[in-house]
Amino acid sequence: MKIKVCGLKHPENIEAVTALQPDYVGFIFYGKSPRYMAGLPVGALKTIPASIRKTGVFVNESAENIEKLIAEYGFDAIQLHGDESPEFCAKFKGKVTVIKAFGLNENFDFEQLKDYANNIDLFLFDTKTKEYGGSGKTFDWAILDQYKLDIPFFLSGGIGPENIAEVKNITHPQFYGVDLNSRFEIEPGLKNIEKLKDAFNIVKNKTQMKYGVNEQGYYGDFGGAYIPEMLYPNVEELRQQYLNIINDEGFKAEFDDLLKNYVGRPSPLYHAKRYSEKYGANIFFKREDLNHTGSHKINNAIGQILLAKRLGKKRIIAETGAGQHGVATATVCALMGIECVVYMGEIDMARQAPNVSRMKMLGAKVIPATSGSKTLKDATNEALRDWIGNPVDTHYIIGSVVGPYPYPDMVARFQSIISAETKKQLVEHTGSELPQYVLACVGGGSNAMGMFYHFLDDESVKLVAVEAAGKGVNSGESAATTALGNEGVLHGSRTILMQTEDGQVVEPYSISAGLDYPGIGPQHAHLFKSHRGEYVSITDDEALQAGLLCCQLEGIIPAIETAHALAQLEKMKFEANDNVVICISGRGDKDLDTYIKYFNY
Amino acid sequence: MNRLNKLFASKNNNLLSIYFTAGYPALNTTVDIAEALEKAGADFLEIGFPYSDPVADGPTIQHSSEVALENGMSLKVLFEELAELRSRVSIPILLMGYFNPIAQYGIERFCKKAAEVGVDGIIVPDLPIYEYENMYSSYFIDNGLSNIFLVTPQTSEERIRKIDDLSSSFIYLLSSSTITGYNLKLSDSVEDYYKRITAMKLNNPTVIGFGITDSSSFAKACNYANGAIIGSRFVKLLGEDGYIDKIDGFVKGIRP
Ligand SMILES: Cc1ncc(COP(=O)(O)O)c(C=O)c1O
Repeated sequence: MKIKVCGLKHPENIEAVTALQPDYVGFIFYGKSPRYMAGLPVGALKTIPASIRKTGVFVNESAENIEKLIAEYGFDAIQLHGDESPEFCAKFKGKVTVIKAFGLNENFDFEQLKDYANNIDLFLFDTKTKEYGGSGKTFDWAILDQYKLDIPFFLSGGIGPENIAEVKNITHPQFYGVDLNSRFEIEPGLKNIEKLKDAFNIVKNKTQMKYGVNEQGYYGDFGGAYIPEMLYPNVEELRQQYLNIINDEGFKAEFDDLLKNYVGRPSPLYHAKRYSEKYGANIFFKREDLNHTGSHKINNAIGQILLAKRLGKKRIIAETGAGQHGVATATVCALMGIECVVYMGEIDMARQAPNVSRMKMLGAKVIPATSGSKTLKDATNEALRDWIGNPVDTHYIIGSVVGPYPYPDMVARFQSIISAETKKQLVEHTGSELPQYVLACVGGGSNAMGMFYHFLDDESVKLVAVEAAGKGVNSGESAATTALGNEGVLHGSRTILMQTEDGQVVEPYSISAGLDYPGIGPQHAHLFKSHRGEYVSITDDEALQAGLLCCQLEGIIPAIETAHALAQLEKMKFEANDNVVICISGRGDKDLDTYIKYFNY
Repeated sequence: MNRLNKLFASKNNNLLSIYFTAGYPALNTTVDIAEALEKAGADFLEIGFPYSDPVADGPTIQHSSEVALENGMSLKVLFEELAELRSRVSIPILLMGYFNPIAQYGIERFCKKAAEVGVDGIIVPDLPIYEYENMYSSYFIDNGLSNIFLVTPQTSEERIRKIDDLSSSFIYLLSSSTITGYNLKLSDSVEDYYKRITAMKLNNPTVIGFGITDSSSFAKACNYANGAIIGSRFVKLLGEDGYIDKIDGFVKGIRP
């Protein structure tokens, strides 16, 4: 949603407003307005950044005067607030952005707008008054439903601090932005910066932005899309479409239905009583292991297959480490009748053999990645190479919050169901939606991001991300990315990765195939660097012991990945009333072989 | 005007460029190979610096990169080897490689050093336009280095125009959306694509790469562009015994 701040006239105030980065600023050239900018020096507009559109607002002004003022002040847009005809508007179309304002009430005749459609760029709908706007009153926004043209519009008239949140409920497809004016003032023409700031935060979801992605695909210093040109069209198609598709009501309905009836969501939030006793806090397990296919990976696979279908893709590729994402992808491809190819490191195929068979039974082709360390990173390389060669008909279902933008954001959104459900379930258990801690293991970071997502802005909630230390952080055989890595580019995004000083990617090691990855998603890199999250690591031995403990205290055999998160409990100190949620990202069936060998069962 | 611009100003067809990976098959071969290629008649060269995860490369260049890394090749070592480049080689030289090794070396330092040893241009397949334009272009420009962008059959016209604006020596056309090492198939759609590019009357010359393997694919490519680049096929030759003596015959075999 765009923001226009209108009615500026004091140089210092203009500077303070532009620092908030509105999309448009408006200057009123109408002698009867208390916000008339008469006498404002031309220079006062010169410092306004080019990204902000300077708008001159006129009421029945002559074309010559408007043209003169455009040239003088360098306006990028004009807003015509009087009785200007379509022909009059047409004179400026193509030269500047032309905004035509109308005052609306319940008797407004929307038919009259038709003649303007080809001659302007935007409408602005204000409250109908005897004067030309500026009343500070709202109109009944329901009448906007009668507006059916395809020209976007600004909403104006009486939008103030107490109703700004409501405008976010307007779902009209042409709703372009809000025009903020008299309700954010100290006196006419002097804006109240603090009030504006709050409104901007509400409109732009700024608090979410603090840890969320920006329009260029960055989370602070991390993210972006560092991809060869061969991948650009594929990734660009996704970037342009993903939000439209996943916000579409039809998509949401299908996604929710499959999550409920196919995956078995909501997954329980289980109060682990024996764990709670042992660790002296209320420990809750978010049971992603109970999902169909046995892990959180299915949430993302369902989302992406529905997206791929809407993009008209005929073939799916995926990479997999532990095989959980491969199985989830093979599953949704079977469900939709789409061809499926999964790349898997040769070493991982050996240590997660049951999952290889599962994928084959589900009809997928499994191709071993034999380059490099023959694990997850190399499987990802092979999948990217496949995608380069098949740019038109193939969708790549990346299994974690890694890869070029928009993947990290898209996968995080699909996995965010984990924390959305957790909040509701916590209210039932504890009376509050906020716990003191949430914990999750991090390979690329998708279960962790799903677990953190709706708590990111609740800064009282401590986010704990557990990486795999392998045989020890300093053993030379580890996958503890934040402990061992530094900033660089891996698989298309700027993030933190394990690398040599020459920028070669270091081959990681963990007993758990799903955590055996030398990077983390860019959003995790941002949470780490900004200290919003605490990043710790757990060794193979600690994880396996914790896995066994979970079997014996709670009767749940966790995936070895998950066991890393459980092991972290040993190292934490809790208050008796602390509520702690651990994401049980997957079940341990695939790991029985490793457990059995380790413990000699 | 750097050597690349001079070359394109003086010759605008049948330009032959050869790619090879530095440090393959052994260290201290880079300048020897470059010299032999110049003697054999190559017009300009791309020297690859190896990366552990070359996603845009097929098996041949992947293998050469692995061997080069095992041999100890790095940007630091490469620049040491290239110190004597300009006393022995006069044709234009480009460095080609992935972004992460450059980022660790330091982009500004990389550009300075490249200019210092006499490099003329850089190809970084995974450095996107947005980041180049907004963060790094000044380092390239200040050091007189051309940044080369790739274009594929799927690249939109608008984007090609943008690339044309940002380019200062030539544009690298990919015969199809592919990783390195696959043969050029001159289907109708590829021909349409070349014609489409020609019709755009770009400011920069074009050179076709990826999938050029022999004299006939070279000649075909030169029908549509100012020249063509051979990579994997030449890297294969470097894996053979006595490769240095075979370079002359190889180059003359491509462009008789
Ligand atoms: C059960 C389980 N947990 C965690 C992971 C790690 O992935 P992520 O960090 O993306 O959640 C995997 C990956 O295969 C997994 O199978």
